[in-house]
Amino acid sequence: MNRYLSGAAKTPPRKSDGLTGVLFALPHLILFATFVLAPVAYGIYISLFRWHVLAKTHPFVGLENYGAALSDDIFWIALRNTVYFVVLVVPLGNMVSLGLALALSSVRRWGTFYKIVYYLPVVISIAVVVVLWRWIYNTEIGLLNLYLGSVVGALRSIGLPLPPFEPLPWLSNPSWVMPSLAMLTVWWTAGGNMVLYLAGLGTIGDDYYEAASIDGANAWQRFWAITWPLLRPTTLFCLVFSVLGAFQVFGQSYVMFTAVQGGPVSGPARSGLTLALYMYLQGFRQYEIGYGAAIAYLLFAIVLVLTIVQFRLLSSQGEAKS
Amino acid sequence: MRNLLRRSQLGLHLPMMLAALFFLGPLLWMLSTAFKAPADIISGLGSAQWIPQPATTENFRNVMGKAEEFPIWRWTANSLFVSLAVTFLVLVVDSLAAFAYSRLRWHGRDKVFALLVATMLVPGQVLLIPTYLLIRQLGLFDTYGALIFPASASAFGVFLLRQFFLTIPMELEEAARLDGCGPLGIMRHVIIPLSKPALATLGIFTFMGTWNAFEGPLLFTDSTLMRTLPVGITIFQGRYNIEYGPLMAAAALAAIPVTIAFLVFQRHIIKGISLTGLAGR
Repeated sequence: MNRYLSGAAKTPPRKSDGLTGVLFALPHLILFATFVLAPVAYGIYISLFRWHVLAKTHPFVGLENYGAALSDDIFWIALRNTVYFVVLVVPLGNMVSLGLALALSSVRRWGTFYKIVYYLPVVISIAVVVVLWRWIYNTEIGLLNLYLGSVVGALRSIGLPLPPFEPLPWLSNPSWVMPSLAMLTVWWTAGGNMVLYLAGLGTIGDDYYEAASIDGANAWQRFWAITWPLLRPTTLFCLVFSVLGAFQVFGQSYVMFTAVQGGPVSGPARSGLTLALYMYLQGFRQYEIGYGAAIAYLLFAIVLVLTIVQFRLLSSQGEAKS
Repeated sequence: MRNLLRRSQLGLHLPMMLAALFFLGPLLWMLSTAFKAPADIISGLGSAQWIPQPATTENFRNVMGKAEEFPIWRWTANSLFVSLAVTFLVLVVDSLAAFAYSRLRWHGRDKVFALLVATMLVPGQVLLIPTYLLIRQLGLFDTYGALIFPASASAFGVFLLRQFFLTIPMELEEAARLDGCGPLGIMRHVIIPLSKPALATLGIFTFMGTWNAFEGPLLFTDSTLMRTLPVGITIFQGRYNIEYGPLMAAAALAAIPVTIAFLVFQRHIIKGISLTGLAGR
């Protein structure tokens, strides 16, 4: 991130362009002020009212919505599920991305083919991704259980003492729901970070590795002594944005459970309820838009704290070692 | 990096092939299911086949044949129009702004730019409820404006283009100025021609991002005719809960255009990400 924030503008050594500059910036500023800046402020305002969409009046209640959220058991369920999702997706996803990037940087042939295939899911809409994975996760005839069944069957036929295969309840058992959503999310997003890691690896000079090889370091040692420390800026960038993205998880639960008729709107036993989904359900299903806004700002506060903590941890480590 | 694993190319291809299967398999399965007859999808024999036998377009006809309830062509047209409009608007508005932040001097410029950068860490979810109310108050709810304007307001493109414009040598601009070019002329004759890679990257990502956008179109529209493809798919799923043939056909129809766009532009896209640190967000 730091490299993106630094770099002062090199301005021509002449007098101010005055109004011209403002005029050039204005079209974007109007859009930005209306649909980014105003909503950020307006959201805080909304969250201070008991604001029901259909009600004529909305009384000012101060911080009551925030207090209500913090003493709302369902809010805590949503927070716990979201944290669980983040804990599953961020480390696993980044390990997969880094692994793929390492493999891509070492392979001599078909690199472009692999790169395209690994990246392909990233360009597909979350709606399509979830509809597809709901089919793959189908307990009776889904692809995943079909293949797991054949693998177990094959292992049993060669004499391994395994119990007969029971189809796994990917989406119907509450304890399986978040891992299932995490797996499809890793499938969907790993390619994005992979390309960033690959770019990061490209900046590390080959001479480091050659020197290490001459010193007799094996691949494992070379990774921990060279790649890992020199890749830190990329890792920080990927982690910060993975956490930011994963905390906002919405489409996965919404398309999987809320948009399906007949089932519980937030998965079996609320196991698919995330903070963003709870905000949606409160704001757009219960019409309690003030409460929904308060949930959104609590989400924002958590993400902000986590981002700052990650910056502190990872950048200070970098300084200490270099 | 090449030297990290130089020895064992064969041992490298095996896990890489398995990973390729993991990423490609579900998409191929989607296509396979879309072309299967309904009976083959649920029966034991046909359900495990990757090549549908017999292959049928029944599911696609099923999807397209219910234009009243599921106007999939209208949804496709909406997605296409909105994505093109947002891309065009972002490219024009953001390059003007990026020029103002990188090449022009004006009072408060750096403070405004710092504000733009700071908002990039605000989660999109935070904006949804207030933007929804604003859109209602502006009378934009359930219109193309609701799909286009909020999607074009991000600071990201300005930031990305500004960083790129800063790398263009000042001398070129001064030469143009001596030839009598004003700010617009400098943009047209110097900055834009030299920034084609950055503009292409921003354009492709804006297009793909808008095509796939989900939360905004879900909340800022509500009539069936104003939906975009991703939201349309979920409407479709609400009805065809477990009829996976038509569902996969609809999903494939939504996924194929972006997939083709990606395959055509993949070189730009992948290079663009590494240049800009943008990973389809």
